[in-house]
Amino acid sequence: MTNEDINVIAPTLATRRSPLYRRHLQYQARFTQVGDNVVVDSYCNETSINDEIDVAESMGLCDLSTLDRIGFKGINAPKWLDSEKFHVPVLANTAEKQVSQSLLIKLSAHEILVLSDLLFHSKDVKRLYQNAVENHQNYDQQVYTLPRNDSHCWLAVTGTNASKMFSKLCAVDLRSHKFAQGAVAQTSLAKTNAIIIRHDLNKTPCFYILSDISGLEFLWDCLLDAMSEFNGAPVGLSALQTLVSSK
Amino acid sequence: MKLLSCPLNGLRNISEFTYGGEYHPTPDHRTTSSRDWAEHVFFHDNTAGIVIEWWCHTPSSFWFLAERNTLTDEVVRTFTPDELYTKPTIQHEPKPETTP
Repeated sequence: MTNEDINVIAPTLATRRSPLYRRHLQYQARFTQVGDNVVVDSYCNETSINDEIDVAESMGLCDLSTLDRIGFKGINAPKWLDSEKFHVPVLANTAEKQVSQSLLIKLSAHEILVLSDLLFHSKDVKRLYQNAVENHQNYDQQVYTLPRNDSHCWLAVTGTNASKMFSKLCAVDLRSHKFAQGAVAQTSLAKTNAIIIRHDLNKTPCFYILSDISGLEFLWDCLLDAMSEFNGAPVGLSALQTLVSSK
Repeated sequence: MKLLSCPLNGLRNISEFTYGGEYHPTPDHRTTSSRDWAEHVFFHDNTAGIVIEWWCHTPSSFWFLAERNTLTDEVVRTFTPDELYTKPTIQHEPKPETTP
């Protein structure tokens, strides 16, 4: 996507925007619409998109909080997702990319989280939500929907310096040889409870962070502060999409 | 920093955990006297030696049990509640038939 193609809109006009939108405006963000939501496409007023991709490859932070996600809990949740053509990993604290491109995370034996993909190829989250509304009327099924769009924020920390930066905020060793692609840690990040998921964007290391949305501004500021020694900066969705698409 | 091993998440700093009190088997509410209920709810054994305790890994809200020596503060082992509890079988009254 080039700057000319972006449909620039004001976040206040959208049905749903990130709680961080004032911070994004301070960084001169350009927003793009995704369904009823807006997401930061780029921060290109001062730099070119290629500079932003360079930042993402080194040390970037992206707010994905308006992208779709959903969770399920209950003894039969894995079985139900299996019937919905998802592959559920055997081990807890494991993430697995699905054929449809969405990301399924097994948080415990009976709790699962599904994240949409950055290129919006998958409609899994909307389909699951609709099917859950239709199918889970009976308590005996023991599958309970956990709407995650408004309970958890979703950030992406990208770049080769990411694990070094995390060592300042998190006790879990997130270096590549200890925390491989698909690994998940439910732990304390900057004194805040968070789910950290390793999901690289091709060759660029990437960590998704899901945490209580009420602490999003605190976490955003903490991460930017910790990133400053690595010249880290906010990046938009467009830079991440370019990294996903690159060969 | 003390470390504790969570059965779900592995070895973590103790600051990630919340103590949940001594483990006692829950009395049968149909046959237990008021005195025994009060004993179960309000009183603790405060044993000097190995006890079983409830702990919660706060970031994942995962409750588990730990065997701990209260004299040496050594954690002997941690384990999931499955070892002590069987899964409840849910039984419902059949739904009344409705006429269209």
